[in-house]
Amino acid sequence: MKKTLFLYINLLAFGVGGLFAQTPKDCDCFIQGIVQDDVTKQPIIGAVVLIKELNKGVSTNSKGFYRISNICQGKYTIIGRIVGYEEKSYIISLEHGAEHNIKLSETEHHLANIDIKAQKIENLTQTKNTLENTTLDQTRGQSLGEALKQISGVTTLQTGSSIAKPVIHGMHSNRVLILNNGVRQEGQQWGSEHAPEIDPFVAKKITVLKGAAGVRYGSDAIAGVIMLEPDTLPDSIVLKGEINSVYFTNGRQTVNSGIMEGGFDNSNVKKSSKIPYSIGFRIQGTYKRGGDISTPNYRLANTGIQEINYSLSLGYKRKNWISEVFYSQFTTKIAVFSGSHIGNVSDLIDAIKRGIPLSIYTPEKFTYAIDRPYQDVQHNLLKVKNTLKNRFGILSLTLGSQYDFRKEVDILRGDRNLTQLFKLTTYSSELIFEHKPILKLLTGSIGVNSLYQENLTTGTLSEPRSSTVLIPNFKNLTSGVFLIERIVRNNWEIESGFRYDIRHLNVYRIPRGGQNVENNTQNNRNFTGTLGANYRPNSRWNFMANASSAWRAATVNELYSDGVHHGAASFERGDENLVPEVALNLSFTANYVSKNFQAELHLYNNYINNFIFLSPTGRPALTIRGAFPEFIYTQTDSHFHGFDLNGIVQIVKNLSLNSKISYLKAQDLSNNQPLIQIPANRWENTLRYDWKKTSVSLTNLYVAKQNRIPTKIIFSDIPYSEIIFAEYGGDFAPPPAAYSLWSASASQQFSINAKQSLNISLTISNLFNTTYRDYLNRFRYFSDEIGRNVVFRAKYSF
Amino acid sequence: MATKRNQRNIALLSLLLSVTLFTVSCKDEEVAAEEENELITTVKLNFTSGSTTQSFKYSDPDGDGGKAPTVDAISLKPNTTYTLTVEVLDESKMPVGNITDEVKKESDEHLFVYTPTPSSLLTYTYGDKDAKNFGIGITGSAKTNAAGTGKLKVQLRHQPPINGKASKDGTPTPGSDDINIDFNVTVQ
Repeated sequence: MKKTLFLYINLLAFGVGGLFAQTPKDCDCFIQGIVQDDVTKQPIIGAVVLIKELNKGVSTNSKGFYRISNICQGKYTIIGRIVGYEEKSYIISLEHGAEHNIKLSETEHHLANIDIKAQKIENLTQTKNTLENTTLDQTRGQSLGEALKQISGVTTLQTGSSIAKPVIHGMHSNRVLILNNGVRQEGQQWGSEHAPEIDPFVAKKITVLKGAAGVRYGSDAIAGVIMLEPDTLPDSIVLKGEINSVYFTNGRQTVNSGIMEGGFDNSNVKKSSKIPYSIGFRIQGTYKRGGDISTPNYRLANTGIQEINYSLSLGYKRKNWISEVFYSQFTTKIAVFSGSHIGNVSDLIDAIKRGIPLSIYTPEKFTYAIDRPYQDVQHNLLKVKNTLKNRFGILSLTLGSQYDFRKEVDILRGDRNLTQLFKLTTYSSELIFEHKPILKLLTGSIGVNSLYQENLTTGTLSEPRSSTVLIPNFKNLTSGVFLIERIVRNNWEIESGFRYDIRHLNVYRIPRGGQNVENNTQNNRNFTGTLGANYRPNSRWNFMANASSAWRAATVNELYSDGVHHGAASFERGDENLVPEVALNLSFTANYVSKNFQAELHLYNNYINNFIFLSPTGRPALTIRGAFPEFIYTQTDSHFHGFDLNGIVQIVKNLSLNSKISYLKAQDLSNNQPLIQIPANRWENTLRYDWKKTSVSLTNLYVAKQNRIPTKIIFSDIPYSEIIFAEYGGDFAPPPAAYSLWSASASQQFSINAKQSLNISLTISNLFNTTYRDYLNRFRYFSDEIGRNVVFRAKYSF
Repeated sequence: MATKRNQRNIALLSLLLSVTLFTVSCKDEEVAAEEENELITTVKLNFTSGSTTQSFKYSDPDGDGGKAPTVDAISLKPNTTYTLTVEVLDESKMPVGNITDEVKKESDEHLFVYTPTPSSLLTYTYGDKDAKNFGIGITGSAKTNAAGTGKLKVQLRHQPPINGKASKDGTPTPGSDDINIDFNVTVQ
């Protein structure tokens, strides 16, 4: 069973030869080895092998060989990385008395020979950007959406400052798929004010795949996929952990998170007949509490947050079989700014005219108290994964069970306090078989996914009791089968795949004013495909080109919404005749790496036929609470195109400049005008100085004004006389002005001993307390964005 | 060989086990009825002069959307002082929900606002006060002036306390509209 496909580093501890040499300072150790593709066994040229603790690294030569010399004795983390492969790290001990050391001839060198067998990451012809290690540490304490802003091309759709949804290349909600520890996150993601119900502390690595990735991850991944992955569970005798503490001055928010993991194996048991096995576990928990936050000029009433999350995982591993159980619970209570409780269009117009919220909504006094309106959300996830390896390949079965409970508590009379209640239960399964190379040429996988879910907002599933709910009760069954194959050669590879999905939606609802339950069904089925290539002419350049399709059937809110969306002051109407949207995404990425310069250019072109979006009609919908601006879910052919450019220049030793540009144009092709609610272009620059274990950085973010907004109402059947919001294409106010934000950061690492370390950092965001508003914040009509925020972070690893 | 088979069996067993784990019994869950939200369907204005009372209704029994609401036209005599009372109802329920009582109970966070256009059409005076001496507007008087036509806007401002601090200050500015409707008015 040595012929495993799993990525691992084969450690041949040839070394530590000078065990008995007893030189006073043994800094003559070295490590060397070959980095090779795990499947083709081809050496990988230009892979970086790095000793994390020493920040010392080399690249592999034309034979995939590397060698790092002059290392003192100690315990080190060796990292192997190259674009297109999963990063691999391994801990080795170069020290006296290590048990497995073998004396190596007469040399008095301490030597470890590490051959890195790098496994290709899935989907290698599309761009992936990753937050991990220090880049992830810098985002600790922030919500998932906020943290992901570090990645170029990713922005957020916000409701105030506490609710942030990730937006990839201008698209969000159901078009962005989130994989939480390998399971598709199923929450109430259709709502623009519903942030992902995930604790980012669960992950040690957050990866964003930009572009349609329908074949592997589900046909609806039109904009991209966000993957949160924890470390692999320990498989040897070890006990370690990490404590993170974060304090934000704005909102006086504290975040504390701890993680503890350990393992056990039977290698010490002296029974040779025993089959080796190992057990690993992890416990993780986070507590977050924050109060009212402040803009540069005033405090916002009722903007606190509270979060309690925990997760448990347990793994069992033997020879060719791995079992893993993961359970997580996420619970949050988020206050919604009191001044955003907008009754109707005249309230909204008054609020826009005032420019700043009324003084009652901007109190002098700070409080942690969470008042109405607020959101109360809980998300539970149980995952069981079993993996079996045999001589044909790897078979894995992942089962997931999720329960998402969302309560939106509004300001109401009396003791009634529930406006909307959503209970979503999801069961999912994924069976994947990764086959071994066929004819030493073709590798790939075949898989089946199924998902069943039930949403309950009133009464029982098939007997709803109320017609006044925002979305109806429904059950949904989707199932898909896919095949992805790739040919990998020394410096190029080709990947191709297809998928077939069926989806069955069953809706139970009482139409407005009706008495009887109506049962509507929708059946959709379609193919998805992908074709891509990756070319590496030399160790510096890497080119990727990909064409992928994806499709997404209309969701219940798009089909059946009919009512006032609170807080948004909008009257939203669904359209049950919407057909699925179909996307074709073409992307090209060029990646250049040299000693002093690194750059990545990602170009994309996303054509979406029948793109479903919420469009203003410009006319008021009359209710007893007054007139509300009307919005209708409609569809159009659209084109999203743009680029993300990311470059790092080492100006002089220790000083580097990182520059990121995101540019996006989204056009409504049928109506020949820009699409509404598209993030503005931005340019971010970070100047960073690193010296030993200290680093200092200064960042500027420039966000342009969104000048590309719709100019006309697209519904031709609405008489002009009925339109009252005609000025900004149906929007209530023009997009906010461009803004420029500065932030500064300093961090210091301390090694307490070989096992323990402490990292502390200080970050000041919005350094100059700049007053600004963002086009994609729903509160931009009546309040400013968050002001200066000083953040203290401490991370203790043991 | 035996161990190998054994191993396979254990693997299969664990697969099975994990499937069973997920076959949770799907009993019908229920979202309780008392968690349903409030709905205002009807606003009734009663104008009383002497012993005659005229009532005018704005009614939207199916709530937002659906069928259009029906609105009575108000017809009053010139230069007359009327006692004006308002009733707010939820007629989508049986028995009909009386929201006026709830407004009365929470009078410190509610304010009815009556706005005639043109303003010369009639003059409204509050006839009730909350604990802080701010008007409520469930009872009041409306004095018509010379003959003419126009509109009367009726608003119910909900002004709940913000983090324990009262927001009602006697003006319509704080809070949000729970009711915001227009009646056509003829004074003749």
